[in-house]
Amino acid sequence: MTKESLRESSTLELVKVSRNFGSVKALDRLNLNVKPGELVALLGPSGCGKTTALRIVAGLESATSGDLFVNQVRYNETPANMRDMGMVFQSYSLFPNLTVTENIEYGLRARKVDPSLRAKQVTKMLELVALGNKAKSFPHQLSGGQQQRVALARALAIEPRVLLLDEPLSALDAQVRKQIREEIRSIQLNLGITTLFVTHDQEEAMAIADRVGVMNHGRLEQIDKPTSLYNDPRTPFVASFVGQANKIPATMRNKGKVQVLNQKINVSEKDSHFPEGKNLNVIVRPESIELASENDPESTNGLVAIKSFLGPLTKLGIAVEGTPLIHLSISSKEVRKFNIGDKISFKISSEEVMVENV
Amino acid sequence: MIQKSSKFILISASVIVSTLLFVIPLVAASIYSFKGNQGKGYSFANYLWLMHQDGFFQSLVTTLKLAILAGALNLILMVPTMVFLNLKGAKFKPLVDFLCILPLIIPVVSLAIGAQVSMPSILQNTEYELVFFYVVISLPFTFRALDNALQAVSLNTLVEASRNLGATWFRTIVKVIVPSIKSGIFSAMFLTFALSIGEYTITSLLHWDTFSTWTVVAGQQNILGAIAISIFSFVGAIALLTIIALFSNKSKKLIEVKE
Ligand SMILES: Nc1ncnc2c1ncn2[C@@H]1O[C@H](COP(=O)(O)OP(=O)(O)OP(=O)(O)O)[C@@H](O)[C@H]1O
Ligand SMILES: [Mg+2]
Repeated sequence: MTKESLRESSTLELVKVSRNFGSVKALDRLNLNVKPGELVALLGPSGCGKTTALRIVAGLESATSGDLFVNQVRYNETPANMRDMGMVFQSYSLFPNLTVTENIEYGLRARKVDPSLRAKQVTKMLELVALGNKAKSFPHQLSGGQQQRVALARALAIEPRVLLLDEPLSALDAQVRKQIREEIRSIQLNLGITTLFVTHDQEEAMAIADRVGVMNHGRLEQIDKPTSLYNDPRTPFVASFVGQANKIPATMRNKGKVQVLNQKINVSEKDSHFPEGKNLNVIVRPESIELASENDPESTNGLVAIKSFLGPLTKLGIAVEGTPLIHLSISSKEVRKFNIGDKISFKISSEEVMVENV
Repeated sequence: MIQKSSKFILISASVIVSTLLFVIPLVAASIYSFKGNQGKGYSFANYLWLMHQDGFFQSLVTTLKLAILAGALNLILMVPTMVFLNLKGAKFKPLVDFLCILPLIIPVVSLAIGAQVSMPSILQNTEYELVFFYVVISLPFTFRALDNALQAVSLNTLVEASRNLGATWFRTIVKVIVPSIKSGIFSAMFLTFALSIGEYTITSLLHWDTFSTWTVVAGQQNILGAIAISIFSFVGAIALLTIIALFSNKSKKLIEVKE
């Protein structure tokens, strides 16, 4: 893929950035390192500080403490209008009194870019977001998806050092959302622009990002490639936030093993310090549970409570006494014969499990 | 059915009442204003008389001049204030709101005398002091008009988007904020303008001559002329109102944001 942007890709670095609102710690010593041309998604529950982090990068909010660097240059004191950062907001933010073209060229006019260059750039941006036929429309004449595409074009027109996207798709319906996120990713790769993408939708984060940072209570719990995050979550929070996870009550046994249902399974290295006899929750992904023979001494019996068909896979919810509903996803062929209310036997197939305090 | 017929009755009742109270007197007055000498025939005599009275044009010009100045001063004062209150100064808003309502609470007489005494002496001796009074008495209305317009747009996001794109505060205000609240600015301007034109009490207390005080004096000499004056003011006011409404409608259309 060729890079089309004139500007060299930038690095972005947040060092121990904190932001307090009264007693609320919106950001708590957040560290983040984004490489040139990388797309990092910040993922986390509502109120975990994603927007605050983005706004501090954009200069729309100031940090209580900590530093921000772009290409190793400290940016803390740089005013928002001098930062060259393109931002797409969560809510519609096009200037209602300006046409699509005027919106896109707004940043270029502010920079006193030569009219002929400006016109060229606008044409290029309109092409990029496939809205050439809407150049003269006003924002209220566009659909939500079109408006966000214009907002993206407007942010990209200034060839920003960093592109900041704050849940740009959350107001759109599922279909449009998927389509535009793919457009965003392909444009981003094409321009090689360093990007921070905030979302609370884990599927969106996984689909679009080079790396996903999972935030909780103003801190980064883990930042990793989507696959690593899913397969090797470092904390129970990440495990349950990224993908689905069962939390099954268990008891610690000696030699780093845990008793869960009728099985004894190894716990991961870092969890082996829990004392024997301690009650814990084991975290198991739905696909790490398999059907087993009733005669298997390690298997557990339950009753099918939920069955939802998802094409090649079917999701089952199994009721077992003393635990919350246990979810598993299994090939649809295999579970065809089970109906709601039927008895079913299963076991955990993973060699090693993660545990958390109850 | 019952609802439909009661609605019909309500509408016809209001049509009848408004005809009786509003349209008939107006039509009658208009007819009267065209009556000739000693009530014989029809002509423009009363209007011509009106225009030849001492001070007609002069007072009209004074009033328009003061009203335009008051409208402009009010906007210069209130637009930045309201923008500030809605962007950063939310905690001062109730205080300013209260201050702006005061002109409605304080009796006009104490307002006129009190404020006149505290006015710098350069202003005290010119009719331009009225501009400040007109601004003060229109504050309760301009506050609301501008506040409504500002609340209707997501001001914070627009300003942040503008700053993010590299615009200075000046550019942001001129290119983004003002155009997005145009309708509010027009109605604030219109209200100030209308109140200034119609203001009588303060002007008369402070012994200045404007169109409103002139009409009272002139009307005392000639009953048909007085009727012509009221019709003239009425039509003039409607014309001004229409012009401003046309302007603000045009700008409103651009501002309507699809939800
Ligand atoms: N201007 C503010 N004043 C006071 N508290 C604030 C302000 N902005 C954010 N907060 C608080 O800081 C915390 C983090 O807010 P933030 O908007 O960054 O969350 P978020 O992760 O973006 O959430 P969401 O997914 O709901 O958008 C929240 O507890 C919020 O209430
Ligand atoms: Mg947010």
